[in-house]
Amino acid sequence: MLGRIVFFLCLPSVLAAQLCKPNAAEGFKVRLSIKTALGDKAYEWNRNQRFLFQAAIAFAMSHHLELEFNVSNILVCDETPRVSFWFVVTSPGDPSRLVGKESVELAVRESRSRINNILLLNDATLEFVGVLPTLTAPVKPATPSWLIVFGVVIGMVGAGIVFLLVSTVVQKKRKKNEVAEEEDDDEEAQMKRTAGNEGIYNTSFSEYDRNTQM
Amino acid sequence: MASDDRDNWESPLQFVLACVSYAVGLGNVWRFPYLCQMHGGGGFLIPYLVMLLLEGVPLFYLELAIGQKMRLGSIGAWTAISPYLGGLGLASVVTSMYLCLYYNIINAWSFWYLFHSFQSVLPWAACPVNSNRTGPIEECEKATSTQYFFYRETLNISPSIEKSGGIHTGQALCFLLAWVITYLFIIRGVKSTGKVVYFTATFPYVVLLIYLIRGMTLHGALNGVKYMFTPKMEELANPTTWINAATQIFFSLGLGFGSLIAFASYNQYHNNFERQAIIVSLINSGTSIFASIVTFAVYGFKATINYENCLDRTRILLLNSFNLAEDSIILNNVFEMIEKLNTTFPEQFAELSNKLEDCNLENELSTSQTHHLNLGISILRLLWITQAVEGTGLAFIVYSEAIKNMPLSQLWSVLYFFMLLMLGMGSMLGNITAITTPLRDFRFLSHVSNEALNGFVCVLCLLLGLGFTTRSGNYWFTMFNDYGATFSLLLIVLFEVITVSYIYGIKRFEKDIEDMLGHRPNWFWKIMWGGISPLLLIGLFLFYVINYIQGGTPTYQAWNKDLGKSEQTEYPLFGQAFIGLLLVSSVSCIPLTALYIFCQRRKHAQRQKQQRTVNTVAA
Repeated sequence: MLGRIVFFLCLPSVLAAQLCKPNAAEGFKVRLSIKTALGDKAYEWNRNQRFLFQAAIAFAMSHHLELEFNVSNILVCDETPRVSFWFVVTSPGDPSRLVGKESVELAVRESRSRINNILLLNDATLEFVGVLPTLTAPVKPATPSWLIVFGVVIGMVGAGIVFLLVSTVVQKKRKKNEVAEEEDDDEEAQMKRTAGNEGIYNTSFSEYDRNTQM
Repeated sequence: MASDDRDNWESPLQFVLACVSYAVGLGNVWRFPYLCQMHGGGGFLIPYLVMLLLEGVPLFYLELAIGQKMRLGSIGAWTAISPYLGGLGLASVVTSMYLCLYYNIINAWSFWYLFHSFQSVLPWAACPVNSNRTGPIEECEKATSTQYFFYRETLNISPSIEKSGGIHTGQALCFLLAWVITYLFIIRGVKSTGKVVYFTATFPYVVLLIYLIRGMTLHGALNGVKYMFTPKMEELANPTTWINAATQIFFSLGLGFGSLIAFASYNQYHNNFERQAIIVSLINSGTSIFASIVTFAVYGFKATINYENCLDRTRILLLNSFNLAEDSIILNNVFEMIEKLNTTFPEQFAELSNKLEDCNLENELSTSQTHHLNLGISILRLLWITQAVEGTGLAFIVYSEAIKNMPLSQLWSVLYFFMLLMLGMGSMLGNITAITTPLRDFRFLSHVSNEALNGFVCVLCLLLGLGFTTRSGNYWFTMFNDYGATFSLLLIVLFEVITVSYIYGIKRFEKDIEDMLGHRPNWFWKIMWGGISPLLLIGLFLFYVINYIQGGTPTYQAWNKDLGKSEQTEYPLFGQAFIGLLLVSSVSCIPLTALYIFCQRRKHAQRQKQQRTVNTVAA
């Protein structure tokens, strides 16, 4: 009786050991680079951090498959000092059955940013080997920013050219008017001179005496 | 002689700044450092300065003297010297025309990069994400993000020169802007240009100084500067070094285009151009040396970053393969750990050996054109040094790669590309003036206003130059750059020197200079003009011809988007024919014009003889 109890108690861990092994068919290798990501603020990888990881994966699985996954459904094994390990996901209904690799991959991809944030890492420092990253779509503004700067610059230059051309035209017109006026003035002055002059003014008969009177 | 109401520079300083602005261009910033590093660092300065003395300054002096004496553009000036040699001026104008057509494309690229610097993340800093958001675009991964940005997003380059594709609208808009600004700068001729050169000549130096300070404080900059200044004297024995030095001096000063003659023609008659010629030549060379210090600081930084990235990739590879703790390998002990792991786990290590890169700082520095070649999607990478690849586009790729690693990269990017713009615009001023000045001298155009004539030239160049904004435009650009001006300029300047020294006569030339300056030129100048410079030019010319013939079919670098790198491709037949046309069209102006004038004169003389016989008969 006691032996049977012990057997049944040991069964899950034995099963777990058999289900989760390196290069498992339905398993994924995970690699964490905590020191690269956090530098001085790096946390020590221990049992509690592992628990957090398992909880995050359980959340991702529950979210994707809409079934209730528990931390005990996420089995972790083959931990190395690198901080890399393998994990497999067991089905909540039947702990001896593994969830398919594709579902796990889809679940992880869907909640990838969430999992990253929980562990304070990013796509590069929390690697799921074989899972393609889901990169954020680039933000495309309605008008590309370079076009705006271009528009401003070409507008200013165009205004400058128009201003210079107009000022040239205005200057020319003004000069033409001035020249026309000058010509008119010249003619008038000439006419005045010819009209007024009847000869050269002879000063010898003028009243003005250069010599002072004695 | 030209009429007395010819436009003038407002002061001799404007003339000097205009010459500096014209001579100091992109070549000083990227081509000289490239040559310097290729020919043994600091040692290259010796052939460079020797050529400056023997060839650069005397020829510069000569062109300024002609322009200032004749007070006409290149066509008028050479026609005045000898009517049979008006073709010399015409050849200069044709060459300048080719240059104007393609040079503004560089300014268009500068604008493109400048406008794209106003973003939170520089677009060439990271590869864009592919359509199903699983990773970067394949072409970008195979090449680098800076190359991808240049070849795909800036140019949208086609696979070869035959496939022309459509016009790249962004490029065309920037090209339009470049021409509009050029027009604004030359709208009233020298009156506008004279004011603009205050800025275009001085601003690049401000940026270079800022970059020098920033560059010297960059991580790893001293590696680059040290590399540049360790001279490799054995390079001096290589004739290519001397030829490259001569060519660089020659093209850097912008001789033979007629721009210097045009600028000098607006001088006061007694302007002291002798001193100015020496000053401008020295400033030009000084700028090259100054710019290469800055460039090498930046290259040193870029090489060090690449080297450290290589070390980091190796470190991660080791960590992942041997599952060691993260802090067991740091950048400093990568090589020790390689040794240790090799001895402890030899079989496992042997599996890795083909994935391990060879990280070498010397290799990173030895040429500035280092390409990372990604073969397939595996992490197999090779550091590949490409010697043969060079081109103006590289100046954009290499610098943008260095800038993206600097903190506050947007600021540095804006500064750098604005400086490139100033350099390019300054040179454009000279190029365009070389065309408009001779046109203005023609009597039948004298009633056309300055604004209209300059506008016409700008619009014409804009329309013809739109071809360079097509998807294959960069290949045409390279063709024009390599063949449009190089060969013909050598011939033009050779003819110029021989004309002045032997046809016009050194004695007459001396007297003209005495008339303008008040003293005769030194014996040094006379020896250079009469003997050394023509000999050097003949030597250079022969070298080019031999090189061209030996080189076989001319080739160009075509961008292969599947491999993410450039490949050497032969020009198709129409391309080769066009090269021939480029070479012949400008040079043939000289003999054709001489022939034309000769025929005209004979006809004229015959008619005069006829008239005289008629008169004597009548009398």
